[in-house]
Order: sequence, then structure tokens, then C-alpha cells
Amino acid sequence: MKFVIKRDLLIESIQHVMKAISSRVTIPILSGIKIEANQDGIKLTGSDADISIESFIPREEDGIVNIEEIEAGSIVVQAKYFPDIIRKLPLKTVEINTDDQFQVNIISGGAEFHLNGQDAAEYPQLPVLHTDNSFELKNDLLKEVIRQTVFAVSTVETRPILTGVNMNLDNGQIKFVATDSHRLASRELPLTTNHDLSFKNIVIPGRSLAELSKIIDDNEENITISVTENQILFQTKHLYFLSRLLDGNYPETSRLIPDQSKTTVLTKTKELLQAIDRASLLAKENRNNVVKLETRANHQLVISSNTPEVGQVIEEVTTEEITGDELKISFSAKYMMDALKIIQEEYVTIKFTGAMRPFIIQPNENDQILQLILPVRTY
Amino acid sequence: MKNWNDLIDKQPIAIKIIKQMLMRERVSHAYLIQGDKGTGKAEIATLLAKSLFCQHRVNGEPCNNCKDCNRIDSGNHPDVHWIKPDGASIKKEQIAYLQKEFTYTGLESKQKVYLISNADRMTTNAANRLLKFLEEPSRQTTAILMTENGQGILDTIKSRCQIISLRPLAIEQIQTQLESDGITPDNARVFAMITQNLAAARALNQDEWFAQARKLVVQLIEVLRTKQEEALLFIQKQWISHFSDRDQLFLGLDLLIYWFKDLIYLQLEESDLVVFQSYLTELEASLRYWTRYDITEILYAIMEARKLIDQNVHPTLVMEQLTLQMQR
Repeated sequence: MKFVIKRDLLIESIQHVMKAISSRVTIPILSGIKIEANQDGIKLTGSDADISIESFIPREEDGIVNIEEIEAGSIVVQAKYFPDIIRKLPLKTVEINTDDQFQVNIISGGAEFHLNGQDAAEYPQLPVLHTDNSFELKNDLLKEVIRQTVFAVSTVETRPILTGVNMNLDNGQIKFVATDSHRLASRELPLTTNHDLSFKNIVIPGRSLAELSKIIDDNEENITISVTENQILFQTKHLYFLSRLLDGNYPETSRLIPDQSKTTVLTKTKELLQAIDRASLLAKENRNNVVKLETRANHQLVISSNTPEVGQVIEEVTTEEITGDELKISFSAKYMMDALKIIQEEYVTIKFTGAMRPFIIQPNENDQILQLILPVRTY
Repeated sequence: MKNWNDLIDKQPIAIKIIKQMLMRERVSHAYLIQGDKGTGKAEIATLLAKSLFCQHRVNGEPCNNCKDCNRIDSGNHPDVHWIKPDGASIKKEQIAYLQKEFTYTGLESKQKVYLISNADRMTTNAANRLLKFLEEPSRQTTAILMTENGQGILDTIKSRCQIISLRPLAIEQIQTQLESDGITPDNARVFAMITQNLAAARALNQDEWFAQARKLVVQLIEVLRTKQEEALLFIQKQWISHFSDRDQLFLGLDLLIYWFKDLIYLQLEESDLVVFQSYLTELEASLRYWTRYDITEILYAIMEARKLIDQNVHPTLVMEQLTLQMQR
């Protein structure tokens, strides 16, 4: 393998793939970066087995030649040394070549490095993109979906399947659901491309999605998503992000969502969020951060919290509208705040079905987002 | 590169069982391979993992040449997980890692294999955690547990594994092979007893430390027999400084065990079986000194000492206690 490449492009690519490389590797080969060269360009790969990131540098882009003298081949180099070496080289271009003893020679100006590499055949085989079962989303939309669901995944490993976000695609509607069995966040959106596609029970680890959200840019470009047997692949122009999926059956969540309500509250999102936030100041002391909510006449809500050792707080909130039965309910302030924080709309509707039943939070006039919280039993 | 046919001489029955099961595609979800040191547990386990992953398997034999086989050999296969004791035992975190691993889909293939060597050295917590997913195996996972001490494994784990017992090695076979290497018969016997493995035995022959260790054992017996009051001093001054780490201490105790076992053989007039052939006069002297009852007691004491060392009791204290027990 041999090529001469612009150093700043290589550095940028290395920075991308380094995000996937962990310092604690389970198999030795994953401590390296895989470099693959062919006539189209150079591909770098980094992986920690759970997620893998591939970054592609095309040979030519917009008429500008990035890479010269390409001889096809592949090698794995130590991620511990390679990035620093490239960063500190003297010239704007760098030549990298390998011999059949897996030695990597890095040449730039007078500086010459000889690194011991490893055989690229030892590197895990990552699946390739199949265009027939892929669909597209806008970058910023995907980031929004991740933000709206991933906070609700479970952090405890007792039910591992709940540490992921469930993705279902049917009839051109794509639905993301996350739950930790105390609360649930879901987001639905229509698909603009590839309507015939359908799959269900795809569970993407929450950690992978959080990582993905950090990597993709906040813009209107398209990201292609494709699902293979055991991995999911997100592809932007030159960056591929792969994640393993969680194995198992995601619980059926649609039955949990009540379809009728006894009490409905319509209120300003910000006001309610701030009131809950204030009430939770004292509730933090008591272990599960519980606040109480009561409906009063004249569209009034009373939010209170009482921690005997500290004190109590009572706050009245004027809502737009309250319909239905009177209600007293307790719930976790943290869950409520998490749910309200991701709602950008000015007004929010909360539908209760009694003090012991889960309740739904939805932005007004937008049923793509649905949040469900289980109340806390207090005596 | 090994394949099943290379191992069949060493472990005919075990290999036959495994091959049959591979050919009939009836792979169980968990195996427990038990056998003494040097009986080929790791070899069998690796070969089994290869046979499960290799795409070019012929009659149950992996090709040893494809990507999957090569990567299993180099430890780089992403769907094969090999757990080895971290320090003295296999810790809870190591099993927790496995547990997490199995909630994910495979990186390349749909099947996964995990190998646990020295499975008897799992902590109680680790063993209980393992039990959890041994009990409800997810699809297409195979567990291969290896141990030298089948008794040290929880019954609940054992009952969930298919047990493959390996035949102990024939000491005589190794001994003759060592002798053909030019090692004296007396030494060959000791080496064969201790390592049960050709390569390790050859290494011992080169090892000055071992020669000195053997001398010390004989000296200790001598001191115990003739100058009892100096025995503790001997332990302090010579024994502890020579046997400085855990493995060395175990070896020292093993040598003592062989010595007293020899005494029993002599009493039974089975002098062919004696390990310390070159010290027959000293053995005779010991035999006059300790009664048969003493010898059994001492053997128990040495076994107990081994256990104590394993439990991190201070070696000097263990050895001192043992010396006091060995004094008549």
C-alpha cells in the first residue's frame, strides 16, 4: 500500500475515527486504526466493538486532488502513536507506505517514521451499506429525535434491552421509543424516502446514539440509515457510523399508553417546567425527588413538595384550561422536567387518567411527541 | 497448527465425543472441559471455537487457514471472548463484561463463543452471575469452561454444562520421552510428575532454581530428622527466600508431598513408584523416623498448607506451622 495525502485531511479523519477507539480494548487489534487504500481514496476505521466509525477521504473532490500515487492495500496501525505522529509532521503532505512485513513507513520532509503495523485481515469485518433497505433523514432532525428519546433509556443493566431506543418503521412512519419502565419517551415522524420499507424490533443502544449525536453536524444535509442483520449504519457524506444492536425482544409499549383521559390540563410549557424545578429544590432531599400536583377551580394547579426535615414549598400555577375530574397526583420531578425540557412548543397538554395511572405529556397540536410518566404512590 | 486428529492420541474419548457432536450439528450450549495440567484443555477449547466459526469445515475439522481460524489463534476474533483469571481469581466485573457483551448482537456473525479458563477460580459473585446467563442462553452462544479442578465448580454450574473429562497423561510416557532426550531417569521421573507436560519438563531441566529447590526439600527433611531445634531457622533463612512467590511455594509443597508419598510407596514395598529415586538412602532414614500414622497426618498438613497459601495467608507463618506439624 502506498499514498501521498494532504496532512490536514488525514488529521481530520483521524480525529473522527479516534472517537470510536477506547483505551480499554477487549481484543488487541481494536487498539489500532485500520487504513484502507484503493483507487477511489483512503478509508480509516476505528472501533471499540460496540460502535465503529469509518471516515473516507476521496482521491479527488471538487476538482482538487487530495491524494496522489495511490497503490491499493490495507494495514492496521497503533492508534496510540499514529495520530500524534501525523499531527507533528513538518510538511503539508505525508507519504505513507507499507511493506509485506506489516511495517508502516511515514515520510514527510526529512522526518521518517517506521511503525510496526498489524495485518488488516485480523480486523473485524464490518457490514457494507445496502441501499435497498435504507432510508434518509435530515441531520438536524435525527439529532432532535435522539435528544427527545435517548434521555429516557434505562441506565441499569437489569433489563439490558431497555438501555436502547427501539425503532420501528411501518407505512412510511418511523417511530422511536425509549423507556426505563418508569417513564417513556416516543417520537414519530413520517419518512420522505423509501416508503415500502418496514422493520421492527430494532433496538439501538442509547450510548451509541448519544455518541452519534456528538459526531454529526447540525445541518440540513441528509444522513442515510440502513439496517443489517446485526448492525445499524448511519452514513453521511464521508463518515460512516456503525453500531451493534441490542439482542432481544423490546417490550410491547403501545398497550401502556392510555387512550382516554379523565383530566386534561393545557398550560404553558416554560411556566410549568419552572414551577416543577422550584418545587424539586426541596424534594431533592427526599430520596426519589417527588412532587405533588393538585387541580383547583379556576384553572389553577397547585404544585407542592414537603420534606419534613427541610421544609415545604407550595406554588400555584395558572393554566390555560383544566377539564375533567379533580385530581391529586405525585410524580418524580426529575422525570417531569426531563419530559418538559425536550418540548419546544409553547403550550403543552397533560392527560391524566387518575392518581394511580400513568399520564401523558404532549406538546399542544403535535402528536409526534409523546411522553409517558408513571406516578409515585404516596400515603 | 493442530487439528482434531493430532489430539486424538492424547484424548481419544473426548475428541471422539466432540467430533461426533460437530458432525451431527448437535452442539450443546455449554461445555465444561476438566482435566489435569497439560492434558490439552486450551487446545481443545480453541479447536472447538474454530470448528464452530470456520466456514470451510470438513468432517468437523477446521481449515486453520481462513480469516476466522487465524483470528481465533491471535485472539482477535470479535465474537470469541476469552476470560482468564485477573490475578488470583476471575472477578465479578469480568463476568459483567461478558453479560453486557451478550445483550448485543454479534459484531460479525450471529453466533458467539466464550471461553473461561480456570473456571474454578471464579469468585462466588462471578459464578452466580455466570449462572444467570448459563441458565438462559441466548441463541447461538456456546460457553466453554475449562478447569483443572472439577470439584471446585459450583454444582449448579456443572449441571448446566456438558462435561468433557480429559484422561490424565500417562506419566510413564512422558518419562520415557524425557529419558530419550538424555535426561537421567531419576530426574525424568520428578519432572514428569510435576509438570505432566513435555515442554515444561524440558524447561525445568535447564532451571537452576529447581535443582536448588529440590535440594532444599531434602535438606528440610534432614533438618527435621536430626536437628529439630534448627528447623524454624532453616525455614526463615533458606526456604522463604528461595520460594519467594506463590507458584514457587506451591511447587515446594508439591515436592514435600511427593517425598511423603514416596515414604508410603516404600512402606508398601512399591519402590518402582518412588519419585525421589536418587535419594533412596535419605528416604530409608525418613522411613525409620516417621511412622505410617505420622506420614498420613503430615500429608494432610501439607494439603492444608497449600490451601492456606491459596487464601493469602502469610507464607512464613504457613511454613512455620507446617514445620511444627511435621516435627514428631
